[in-house]
Amino acid sequence: MADKLDVKQGTLALMILRTLEVLGPLHGYGVARRIEETSSNRLKLNYGTLYPALLKLEQEGFVTGEWRQSENNRRAKYYALTAAGRRQLAREAREWHQTADLIAAFLAPRREAT
Amino acid sequence: MRHLRALLARIAGLFAGRRADDDLRDELEAHLEMETAEYVRRGMTPADARRQALLSSGGLTQAAEAVRDQRGLPWLESVAADLRYALRSLRRSPGFAVVVVLTLGLGIGANTAIFSVVRGVLLKPLPHRDGDRLVYLRHSVDGPGRGNIEFSVPEVGDFRTGAPALADMAEYSPFFFTLQGDEGAIRIDVGLVTGNYFAIMGLAPVLGRVTQPGDDGTGVPAVMVLTHEFWLRRFGGDSAVVGRQLRMGSKSATVIGILQPAPSFPDKVDAFLNMVISDHHLGALMVTDRSHRMTEVVARLGPGATVAQARTEVAAVFARMQTQHPEAYPATDHHRVAVLPFKEVLGERARTTLWLLMAAAAFVLVISAANVANLTLMRGVRREHELVVRAALGAGVARLRRLLLTENLLLALMGAALGVLIALFGVGLLVAFAERYSPRANEIRLDAWVLGFALALSVMVALLLSFVAALPREGTFASWIAAGGQRVSGNFRGQLLQRGLVVAQVAVSVVLLAGAGLLTRTMMQLSEVETGLVTEDVLTVPVSLFDPTRLDFAADGANKQAYESLRREMLALPGVVEVGVGSTMPLRTSFLAFDVAVEGKAFAPGEAPPHADVRTASPEFLRAAGIPLVRGRDFSATDAPGGGRVAIINQTLADRLFKGEDPIGKQLAFRSEILRLTPISGDWRTIVGVAGNTQDGGLDAQPRAVVYLPFAQEFTIFGGLVVRAGSDAPDLAGTIARIVRRMAPQSPAEPVQTVAQIKDESVAPRRLNAALISSFGLLAVIIAAVGIAGVLAFSVSARTVEIGIRMSLGASGGQVLRMVLGEGGVLLAIGLALGVGGAYLGAGVMRGLLFGVAPHDPATFIAVAATMAGIGTLACWIPALRAARIDPAITMRAA
Repeated sequence: MADKLDVKQGTLALMILRTLEVLGPLHGYGVARRIEETSSNRLKLNYGTLYPALLKLEQEGFVTGEWRQSENNRRAKYYALTAAGRRQLAREAREWHQTADLIAAFLAPRREAT
Repeated sequence: MRHLRALLARIAGLFAGRRADDDLRDELEAHLEMETAEYVRRGMTPADARRQALLSSGGLTQAAEAVRDQRGLPWLESVAADLRYALRSLRRSPGFAVVVVLTLGLGIGANTAIFSVVRGVLLKPLPHRDGDRLVYLRHSVDGPGRGNIEFSVPEVGDFRTGAPALADMAEYSPFFFTLQGDEGAIRIDVGLVTGNYFAIMGLAPVLGRVTQPGDDGTGVPAVMVLTHEFWLRRFGGDSAVVGRQLRMGSKSATVIGILQPAPSFPDKVDAFLNMVISDHHLGALMVTDRSHRMTEVVARLGPGATVAQARTEVAAVFARMQTQHPEAYPATDHHRVAVLPFKEVLGERARTTLWLLMAAAAFVLVISAANVANLTLMRGVRREHELVVRAALGAGVARLRRLLLTENLLLALMGAALGVLIALFGVGLLVAFAERYSPRANEIRLDAWVLGFALALSVMVALLLSFVAALPREGTFASWIAAGGQRVSGNFRGQLLQRGLVVAQVAVSVVLLAGAGLLTRTMMQLSEVETGLVTEDVLTVPVSLFDPTRLDFAADGANKQAYESLRREMLALPGVVEVGVGSTMPLRTSFLAFDVAVEGKAFAPGEAPPHADVRTASPEFLRAAGIPLVRGRDFSATDAPGGGRVAIINQTLADRLFKGEDPIGKQLAFRSEILRLTPISGDWRTIVGVAGNTQDGGLDAQPRAVVYLPFAQEFTIFGGLVVRAGSDAPDLAGTIARIVRRMAPQSPAEPVQTVAQIKDESVAPRRLNAALISSFGLLAVIIAAVGIAGVLAFSVSARTVEIGIRMSLGASGGQVLRMVLGEGGVLLAIGLALGVGGAYLGAGVMRGLLFGVAPHDPATFIAVAATMAGIGTLACWIPALRAARIDPAITMRAA
């Protein structure tokens, strides 16, 4: 797994929120799969990384958890985005875009001095 | 918001308990199953799929742990675990816990209580706005009782114009009035102040207003600002009193406001008034006469100015004054002016005593902490086994240290809680104590600072205790574990430390005891000072008939008659032997004092003429007060207004003026610049008698020179009666007070006391002082004794086997007893030597608090050493006896 990247806590929260926004209420496994797929399997999520992050979002009031039957009739905890979570997502996404633009500008190939 | 919410959720998570754990397990299991199903769908066997899923999970247990950490507050939980552990281990040794908490409680309590006084009286910022910018000016000359002779109005004027470092100066003249009320007259002490006084002092009213510059001068209404304390005491905090007219003598003043609570300085006053109330204060004498000094000065430093600048400027102005007006500053008096920060002056009288008490309390804490450290060390040795087991189970040094720290913190905090409780009770007593030393006593509180102090002390003690216990260095655990906790002997280092602590305890106790001994001796010496009076059988009855608001000299004849009527009335009481009238009661200082000249006698140049108190006395006064007549005759009825001017001098003055000569028949006269400000004349007076000395300037002062003048020949400003009765004098006090109330209702009610009571009152602060230090000393000795006994007992119990062997080899019980006693005796002796040495070096700081006993008084030192040695030996005896009773057969078998 040397080629796989570790996820940083801050970015993971953003990924989870975005996943829930796109797919709607989802259990932990679903979130993990989706994130791994979206990253083309460059990211690998441990339980020990994912579940504390989900719990933290729950504690902060950005997601709510609810026990439901899964599609294959298993009891599973489904996480859904709250209104506060939606706002947080919008805010964090905006910040990320700005940061990314900024870093990109810095890292852009230097132009010839004229 | 978000963080707060998360924190609340986590706090709630602390109590989530089993259900949350079950849910978590279900959730992780579901994840695992879904992943397994996915792998199966991709074609793995169920067993392989499950293995693969588990592999990619990164460990279920670790995940559950990570989630749990996120759920609650892990650090808090581990602290809670430590606390639970500490509580459990203390519950297992309740004796240890109780002794430690009690010992620390006493130590911390003593310190907290004394610190609350130190803070309230010395450290706390003044209630005055920018109180650290206030300075107080003090004018002193040589001679007893002349440390503060105040200023005259022209002097204040010179400073005001000549010292720009002082932004402005307020004048304050201490005075007193008789306040008439429905419940009779009372004397109130007041300050007559200039209108800028409150602005300069930075004090505001809580009700109404304070005086302003518009209240200065003549032709304004008399107004009055009550102090907060007097308002509560006299008017029960009734706000309706503002606006009322209060009658004082022949005049009255309107109450315009109530002052915020503030220390009353230089005198304890009940109210402040503008000057217009007193004819005298607006008279030419007061306003223009340079020698007429009855004004205190408080000033505020100008912006950017320092006390040092103010000192330089004031000194320059004062030097100029002295050259311009030499008649007002006799060189032999050595006039000087000090500029003192107001806060410092307020703490002046309390400072030495308080720091001494603080040091004593700190000593007590040191001793109790040493005791607790010793107990901890002993317990540590007994716990070696337990610690070894914990270490074997994987606890590192840091973890063990944390456990110890938690335990000690718990103990120290319980000690602090007990200490604060003790301090709560103590503070009430200490306020009464501090009132005698400081005008700020009512500011003493157990406030946040004081509680913080107690907390800091306990944390400090806990830290110390946690680091005296020996823990092995990291990496040496193996040898510890190998030893298996069998070495219950305590290592040499531990023993040395324990013994060192005992020596320190003894030494510190000796120092405290020495201080207590010296103060107790001081108090005893003071009580034994001969007052020169009959103390038990004489009642003093102050009666003021003169109205200080009005300078009505014509009323003097009527007043004298009234005193005579009172005298007769009291003389007629059963049991009364003699009644005299005089200006000043025995043991009270006279308000008038002048330089004395003798006819045909010149003083050497530069020699200051004697300065003598002036007191008036009726022919019966000396006899009634029990003042012996050493030579010549007493005053008689013929020493009347028309008769020749006569005087009686006391022994001190006679010795000073007429060494080896007979003073009778000589002529003396008063020769002071201020004489013309008083109704006393500078005429020559014939000395007709010499009276014995009395301790009117204080029991610890040199007897002052006194000139008695016939009561009938002088104007009466102050007055009172002395009533000589039998041993039932105290019982007559009530009757006499009623007579005064009936016959002189305009006189303020003042206590009728025996001379013995006045004397006792003057010793009271010293007695309290001695009692406080003594109780600290006693506490220290008890704790130290427990310490010695404990260490010896521990040493005996650790050496049971050795002692058993000795005894089986033929050592007798007596020999063992001597051995243990010797062991304790060495510690005791070293401690005593150090303590006596320390006390000898330190006693000098107490010099100012002592009377009649030298700081290095051998008798006190010997008594202290003997006391400590006695108690210490007793403390050694108990473990020694136990050692002597060891049965070798039993101990050897047990080994």
